[in-house]
Amino acid sequence: MKILQNFWNSPIGPKTTHFWGPVVGWGIPIAAMVDTNKPPELISGNLTTVMCVYSALFMRFAWMVQPRNLHLLALHAVNESVQLYQLSRWLKFQGFLGDKSLQQKNEEAET
Amino acid sequence: MAGSKLQSFWNHPAGPKTIFFWAPTVKWGISIANIVDFSEPPERISYPQQVALMCTGLIYSRYSMVITPKNWNLFGNSIFMAGTGLYQVTRKIRHDYMAEVTEAKE
Repeated sequence: MKILQNFWNSPIGPKTTHFWGPVVGWGIPIAAMVDTNKPPELISGNLTTVMCVYSALFMRFAWMVQPRNLHLLALHAVNESVQLYQLSRWLKFQGFLGDKSLQQKNEEAET
Repeated sequence: MAGSKLQSFWNHPAGPKTIFFWAPTVKWGISIANIVDFSEPPERISYPQQVALMCTGLIYSRYSMVITPKNWNLFGNSIFMAGTGLYQVTRKIRHDYMAEVTEAKE
């Protein structure tokens, strides 16, 4: 009961915009999770790379902002994970991740 | 004159010595990446991703005005992000919808 009351009255609770901002923000990692089931050709390398840098910075932002927003921190921590995963899928698809046999094939093709 | 303005910018609580400056600055990259992707074919656009960007842009426009300190950089950025997201969504809808119309005519 007290936990619920504390949550309800919290400075980052459901009576404030500090709560609902991140609630809507969950759309971004959820959209990325949906996209993990799609083929890697559809991933935008630009956007995914930017997302990785952005979520890293916003984890720090969420910690330092007044009031401290652990909800936002959790959101960006999750997003960072999903975006890094998507980035790895994209890199693998583009042939950037040390697949030695693939590199050798490319080198042979060049010579 | 210019010196003290630069100084007040440099020392601002949301200035370049703080995360409150750099986080939204990097967030502009999202809108820029979206603009770069305008030239990509609409088949590659992800509905969930762009709708999510659009909605978060709108909500964060408000969020940036009620946090301490107020963040005009984040505000402008969120408006822009919502705009590019909306444009990408309309591009894809137009592509999906128009394709049906052309097929119906044939």
